[in-house]
Order: sequence, then structure tokens, then C-alpha cells
Amino acid sequence: MTEEKTIKSSELDHNFRYKISEKVGAKTLLKCIQCGVCSAGCTVSEFIDLQPHRVVASLLLGLKDTVLSSNAIWTCSLCHRCTERCPKNVDYSFILALLRNMAVEEGNAPKEYTETVNTLYDSGFVVPYTGRMKDTIDRRRDKLDLPQIVPPNMDDIRFIIDNTNLGDLIENKNREEEE
Amino acid sequence: MGYEYALYLGCTIPLKYPHFEKAFREISKILGIKYKEMEGSSCCPDPVAIQSLNVDTWLTIAARNLALAEHMGLDIMTICSGCFETLKTTKVLLEEDKEAFDRANSILNQINYDYKGTVDVTHFAELFEQDDMLKKIEENIVRPLDDLNVAAHYGCHLIRPSKILQFDDPERPESMDKILKALGANTIAFASKLECCGYCARLNEDIGYKLVQEKMVDLDHLDLEVDAMVAVCPACVSQYDKKERILQRKTAEDLDIPILYLPELMAIALGVDTEKLDLTRRSVKPTKLLEKLKV
Repeated sequence: MTEEKTIKSSELDHNFRYKISEKVGAKTLLKCIQCGVCSAGCTVSEFIDLQPHRVVASLLLGLKDTVLSSNAIWTCSLCHRCTERCPKNVDYSFILALLRNMAVEEGNAPKEYTETVNTLYDSGFVVPYTGRMKDTIDRRRDKLDLPQIVPPNMDDIRFIIDNTNLGDLIENKNREEEE
Repeated sequence: MGYEYALYLGCTIPLKYPHFEKAFREISKILGIKYKEMEGSSCCPDPVAIQSLNVDTWLTIAARNLALAEHMGLDIMTICSGCFETLKTTKVLLEEDKEAFDRANSILNQINYDYKGTVDVTHFAELFEQDDMLKKIEENIVRPLDDLNVAAHYGCHLIRPSKILQFDDPERPESMDKILKALGANTIAFASKLECCGYCARLNEDIGYKLVQEKMVDLDHLDLEVDAMVAVCPACVSQYDKKERILQRKTAEDLDIPILYLPELMAIALGVDTEKLDLTRRSVKPTKLLEKLKV
């Protein structure tokens, strides 16, 4: 049974919906008619505490904390069936990405994902390609007679990460600057 | 007829599964597909972690990769569905949203790139399912797969969301089955055909195990013997391959269907020396399949 809870209008974030709907790819959010097709086809529905159409309803109501603390925003398999089937063209899977971005801004980035952006910052790839790992990979590619990897200019990748506000998640930066 | 592309490898295939890249390069040679290497390209970047952390970072790094191909004057050929999704979505989103387009370019311009939006992005499945390519595949078959029952796993990021990816039917796709039929294989209809592999639900492994088990058991319980399942994305291939082996140990199910990357099966059919393909580098080996084909 769902626990009943009264939330005062003054506790709602009335701009929450617009912070999402103003973003590229999420403009159709306000058109949701709560039909529930997204939830009916959701790959992970049995693993989440708030079904997709309920996430959208809560988002439209301004229940920011409920949405951002729900495991639904992080438990998505990115199958895009919700987006595909929505009769109002609401791109739910992309809206979830924007909600995750918002949670990250508030300091709640999962360790697994910050590790990924650190790897990207180190080598331009999300598979580690430095030091001994690089040697092993290069040997394997040689054996298969594959061309050598020409990695990106790391200054480019680091500049983009720093200038799109992910720089704070990079752990090795200070260490490297010290070296 | 000439097809030429900027070959975008990404990172998972060239760094973790280079034998998949090998298979693609071998079949391209046979089918006359030309490409130039995209030197200096980075991760697409990853549509799971990087998009989840910051959509702007994701779009801007992707736009840099698109700009590289634009500079080469060639459309992009991707060999991974994740890369296909990231690069194609970036192209479409930046087309739709002038503000985001300008924001990405304002960063790129400072590192001497300029993304114009003129480059297209394709996945090899899109090319191989063209009528002329299917004909070329048929003409070049050395080892027909006539006696094989093969299941196609389309995965999600090849066909959905269709308004962005604009390829095949999102609920009744046919492209992979067409390619398999051209190789001579008997393709299979099965209930869980369009289910997700669960790889992208990275924070909860139970989801992946559940989805892999459902699909593999579904295939195992069919009236016919399934010789292989093929996928066009390295995440899907590794997800099924690794988890299938683990489930085989943990459950009473006798799961031993090898999972191949579609270009690997194409390479086998097109007569590529299997020594070159490193086919045993997987948890569930395609031993029976190769025996059937007398390789």
C-alpha cells in the first residue's frame, strides 16, 4: 500500500517542469496525457520504485525531491520503447537523462559513471588505453594485423569536459598539474 | 557502385574486441566497401555514462567526432550501435535545436573545429540490407549457411527511437533477417526477439541477468536447435555471451548458444580464413557451428 502524504503547494518546485522542457529534445514533456503506454512497455518496470508515467506526473506537479531521489531515474536500460511508443512524442528516455544530469549537478553522480568520465579524461576513450593496458591492446591489434590507434588530441577532449561543467568530477587533474 | 565512408571505430570494439573490427574489415574488402580511418577521433562518447552525467558534454564531444568526418568529406560508418545512437542523435538534436548547435560550436571553435551539420551517420546494417549489397553478399558466398538456424538480436540502439535513428521498423525490424537470409541461414521468429540485453542498466546487474536468461531460455525451448544468435553491437554480444555462461552454471538450463557479432558470421560465410577471426575468444564457443560448416 502506498503511504499517503500531504504536500503543500508551497513545497513544490513550480519551475521544475520548465527546467526540463526548455532543454533540447525534451520540449514535448508538457504534452503528456498520462496514458501509461511508457510504463506498460518498460523493460525495467519491476525494478523501479516509480513507474515512468508516475515520474512524468511527479515532474509536472513539481515534486522535485520525489523524482530526483527515485531509483527510476538511474534504473533505465535505455531500450527507448517508452519514447518509441509515446502517442504524444514525449521522449521519456531522454528526459530521464536530463533528470540524471540534474541529480549530478546536485552532487549525486554514481561512482561507476564518474569513473567513466575520468577514463575519458585520461585517454579520450571510455575503455582504459594508457600504460600497460595500451601495450596489451596494441600487441593484440598487431597480431590481428589491424591499423594502429591514433588517439584524439587530449587537450581537445579535456577542454570540452572542463567547459561543459564536468571538470569537477575529474580526480586526476590536480595530480597531473602537480607533476 | 561505390560506397566510401569515414570509418568510426569508437572504443569498445577496437580496444576490447578488436577481432570484431577484423571481421568487419575482412568483409568490407570482399564486398568492395571503401573507407578512410578517422584518426584522432575519440569515444563517441558513451550514451550511458556520459549522457547521464551531462548532455552538453555528450553532444559536444560527439559533434567534434562529426566535425572530423565532415572535414574528411565523408559520411560516417559506425560498427557499434552505441556509437550509432550517440552520433546520429547528436546530428538530429543539433539540427532541431539551434541554441544547442551554437553552444556546441562555441566550444568547438575555441579548439579549432567547426561543426556544420552536413555529415550523415550510418550503421553497417543499414548498408548491408540494401538490395545491391544483399545481391553482392549472395554472389560472394563461399560457405552457405543453409543448415543453420540463426536468431537475430536487433538490440535497441539500432532501431529506436525511430524518429531519430530513422532505420528499419522499430517494432517489426527486418534488416538483420534479410542479411542472414542472404547468407543462406534459416532465421528464427521468437517471442523475446526485440527484448533489450540490459547492458545499459549498468547500475543493477540483476536486470541484465533476468533479460539474458529470458531470451536464452526462450531460444533454448524452441522446437528447433538454434545454432547461433547474432547481434550488431559489442555491448549486446558481450552481455549475452558472458551472462549466458554464468547462467549455465547457476541454473538448470543447458544454455550453449554461441553469440556472434554479425560481421563474424558474414566473414565465415564469405570464406574468410577463420584463423584470422579469433572466434574462440568468447565464453560460449561456436565449435558446433563450425563443425556443421566443416570449417
